[in-house]
Amino acid sequence: MDYLASAGVLIGIYIILAAGYNLIIGYGGLNTIAHPIFFALGAYTTALLAIGTGLPPVICIAAGIGVAVIASVFLAVTTLRISGDYLLIASLGFQLGLLQAINNLDFTGGPSGLSNIPVTLSGPARGWLYLMITAALALLVIWLVHRGMSGPFGRAVRAMRDDDVACAALGRGLFTMKVVIFAFGCGTAGLAGGMYAYYFQYISPEQFNVAQSATILTMVVLGGIGTIWGPVLGAFVLVALPQVITFLQLPSSLVGPLQGLIFTSLVILFLFLRPHGLVGTRTPGAAH
Amino acid sequence: MTQEILRLENVCKRFGGIVVADDICLSLHAGDVLGLIGPNGAGKTTLFNLISGLIQPDAGRIYLQGHALTGPLHRRARAGVARTWQHMRLFRTMTVLENMLVGPRNYPGESLLRSMIGTPSVHRAEAAARDRAMHVLERMGLTNTASTIVVDLPFGQQKLVGLARALMNDGPCLLLDEPMAGVEGSNYETMQRIVRDEAAAGRAVCVVEHNVSFIKDLCTEAIFMSYGRILKRGSVDDLTRSRELTELYFGTADA
Repeated sequence: MDYLASAGVLIGIYIILAAGYNLIIGYGGLNTIAHPIFFALGAYTTALLAIGTGLPPVICIAAGIGVAVIASVFLAVTTLRISGDYLLIASLGFQLGLLQAINNLDFTGGPSGLSNIPVTLSGPARGWLYLMITAALALLVIWLVHRGMSGPFGRAVRAMRDDDVACAALGRGLFTMKVVIFAFGCGTAGLAGGMYAYYFQYISPEQFNVAQSATILTMVVLGGIGTIWGPVLGAFVLVALPQVITFLQLPSSLVGPLQGLIFTSLVILFLFLRPHGLVGTRTPGAAH
Repeated sequence: MTQEILRLENVCKRFGGIVVADDICLSLHAGDVLGLIGPNGAGKTTLFNLISGLIQPDAGRIYLQGHALTGPLHRRARAGVARTWQHMRLFRTMTVLENMLVGPRNYPGESLLRSMIGTPSVHRAEAAARDRAMHVLERMGLTNTASTIVVDLPFGQQKLVGLARALMNDGPCLLLDEPMAGVEGSNYETMQRIVRDEAAAGRAVCVVEHNVSFIKDLCTEAIFMSYGRILKRGSVDDLTRSRELTELYFGTADA
């Protein structure tokens, strides 16, 4: 049963990641692949504070969110002012560069990561408690995204994605909107990172590499880009899928490549055959 | 004398070696409907882009009600420059009403936080915008299209929605880029009536249009542009009677 709880926590964390990423690329139309690095910034900040200071988890996670938000604003302000296209390139550099830094610094534990993150909840019900907290946070993030995208702010964001020039000519300040969306989405990745660090008590750079970008992107595309429930469905399917693959008892040298193959095939198949994903309708991002 | 709304002083713009706005001076008063005619490439839309802030002039100044009009698109829209686009640029995944609700100058959704909380001021502004939008649609006879996705409408009605969306900006200056292209029948009459009403309500309207009869029916005056310069300003009849200008527009008979 602990196995189920653990899978549940992982699904919850991926729902948070996918929902935030969907906000950025699905609703905002901001093409970034740096989502895992904000996940990492949240996880590492939380872990380092928890290990070094023993502050309460809520404060450590809040700090993780804060660092992710600050880093995202820095990335957004430096790249979005020129043109949206620069964000994609800059985000790749940001992702690879920062992860290299984490991989080579002493206080982050280098390639071996941080493994002595203190226990916060213990006892037989630990897994289920974490599952409930993560589920509640995932629901909160989904609700926040829904709230944000269904009001007048969300309407302006959808208008910007449909036609940015026309949107600006109506008086909407696109730059501010983009930075806010980016910071919001990356902040939720920081939250996911904090939860991840406390639950698994071990983090290392390879958990936050570009392959994670592909995983989160697949969740969003498969579930339904620019929809509220798409990322949720995507997270369920893509966390369950590798578990199914392990049941096949293939040699481990095959499992990794096979998983990558399936993920990328899914993205390509969906983009061609069902670009609005499993739950999407004809008009992506329309009000629900 | 009515109030001066828009004033351009020696506005210049060049793209590389091509002069697209050559020392443009222009004055527009409340209630004016000024036609802007000239051959393709004369710089008519460029002039709109310069006024609305899509591009910035190399030299010269633009004033709106006496205040210098500067900065990017969204600043000028908030200052009171409303415009439409030749190719409409509607928000294609959104309904007619949603398209229009993006347009008020005093927008209730500038702050994500206030938008999420749904503060009373946001509710009030949203309700006011909705009323205004429904009123504009009613004037156009488009009330029943409010919740239709814009791209599902016939072309002529999409053009009207483009104007309706611009009218959500209650500023004093309205720039219409080829509002009649592809519009006929009752939509044509609606377009004419709305533009006339907006001018009568005190807006300064400037229209780029190839449909000369529309310009004739509607405009008090027109300017003729060619190669980025204003060649002549006068009554529409004067301009269309000028042999020199018609030759520039249509080419010479013996060419």
